[in-house]
Amino acid sequence: MTDRQDPSAALAAIAAVAARTEVARRLDGRAETALLQGIVDAAAALFDAEAASIALHERDPDRLRFRVAAGVQGQGVIGVEIPTTKGIVGYVFSTAQPIAISDVMSDPRFDKATAQRTGYVPRAIAGVPLIDGETCIGVLQVLDKRSSPTFTLKDLELMGAFARQAAAAIEATRVQRETTRILQAALRTIAAGEVTEETIDAALAPVIAELDADAEDPFWTIVDTVARIRGLGERERALVAGIIEVAARHASTSVRRPYRS
Amino acid sequence: MSEGSGEIRPAWTEPFIGDRTGLVRGIRLDAIDRAWAFDGGTGAGVRVAIIDSGLERDHPALGGRVVESIAIELGEEDERVVPDEAGDLYGHGTACGGIIRTFAPEVELISVRVLGADLKGKGRAFLAALDWVIEQGIPVANLSLSSRSESLFPHFHDLADRAAFAGTTLVCAANNHEGASYPSLFSSVVSVAAHEIPDPWTWFHNPHPPVEFGAWGVDVPVAWKDGGSIVATGNSFAAPQIAGLVARLVGKHPGLTPFEVKAILAATASAPTGAA
Repeated sequence: MTDRQDPSAALAAIAAVAARTEVARRLDGRAETALLQGIVDAAAALFDAEAASIALHERDPDRLRFRVAAGVQGQGVIGVEIPTTKGIVGYVFSTAQPIAISDVMSDPRFDKATAQRTGYVPRAIAGVPLIDGETCIGVLQVLDKRSSPTFTLKDLELMGAFARQAAAAIEATRVQRETTRILQAALRTIAAGEVTEETIDAALAPVIAELDADAEDPFWTIVDTVARIRGLGERERALVAGIIEVAARHASTSVRRPYRS
Repeated sequence: MSEGSGEIRPAWTEPFIGDRTGLVRGIRLDAIDRAWAFDGGTGAGVRVAIIDSGLERDHPALGGRVVESIAIELGEEDERVVPDEAGDLYGHGTACGGIIRTFAPEVELISVRVLGADLKGKGRAFLAALDWVIEQGIPVANLSLSSRSESLFPHFHDLADRAAFAGTTLVCAANNHEGASYPSLFSSVVSVAAHEIPDPWTWFHNPHPPVEFGAWGVDVPVAWKDGGSIVATGNSFAAPQIAGLVARLVGKHPGLTPFEVKAILAATASAPTGAA
């Protein structure tokens, strides 16, 4: 796998690829945010709601972070992190069941801490899960329809359609981004030194460890995507093959045990 | 497979010969009406498991009827059933318990918490919870949640079958989304979606499965966290309406099988909207 002939040219090329993937990663992040922003803007307008927002799941620590929001009342929520064990958003995330609640204010004991932190305490909340394959990856919530004190079943269904759009957008950019991360980690190591199985392994370990943290992560989708990268030179393709080989070996040793033997 | 009971009954002719006492049920579908099924029922002596976010023991809506609270603890290789003191993390389980008590005020509620902190492999916890409920011989379980995991499909299927044969009626909220969810799609469970008629005694039977029953699930006043109450919408509030009816029914008519329970729910369902 190691090719010691003309290392400087190869390393320069690899460094350039690494730089480009970094730019691509940032662009992807922005494109994803722009798409999600468009979705919450449209949701807020359609429901004539005071606010709409999307919270996405993050690991280590396990939490939900609000990424985008629409509506004057919604802006304070951006960047707010909540435990997955809390509130309507946490419940929707944990069960992947859409629910709507109202009369929140009628009960003085209702936990309003997070809502108050955002500067807006809603009267009614509707939340639907963002589903990627089998996994819930976040929640779309809409706060306070101006036309009605509550949300209907049709509202929840319609929100489900928005949530599907959001999940599709996230999935598309995420597969690309995570592929980029794997390549990037490997390329950085190569640019810094020699290519051996050990260095590839070391470069991939943290990335793979994170993927494994969620057993339902579509890891093989990423591997397939990597495999489909045709634009690389022979040396880089060999590298990709090496990455896949190492990843495959790793994956084969970490297959989940069946629930009941 | 009834592995828990240590007894596997073969499907042979023995139950149908001899004195046939095992076959006497005394139930004629055409004689069943709501008065026979539900009048005077209180759910007394009926244990109902709520597989959810926990139950708030001292919430007024639960009327001190919580008799046991357990949680599933996930190890690397196993799942353990442990006593649970966490109460209700979201308020949702308590909401379900309160709805069930509107039909069956004297029911014995059992909290089986599978949602909340440190439960990453939720599907595994859910399976272990179902397994426990069946092992305990609990006659009714409310499941306002489901799993989308294809890899867990056979395990859910096996447990739903075991529940049906063991006499545990599983009342499941239907999924509102595209795609499969288990065990709510199985024929061995009672699956419920929401309708918007604000009446707990209006429920519909749908002859076109997988969702077989519709119950009030829109703008339902429900109990919530910290002794509170809110107004809630979703299939997860429709399921406990039916679970409450089942608790009332089996309290009044002990020994009904899940198959009979479902037939009786269908026989006593409200006339379809718009029909004479």
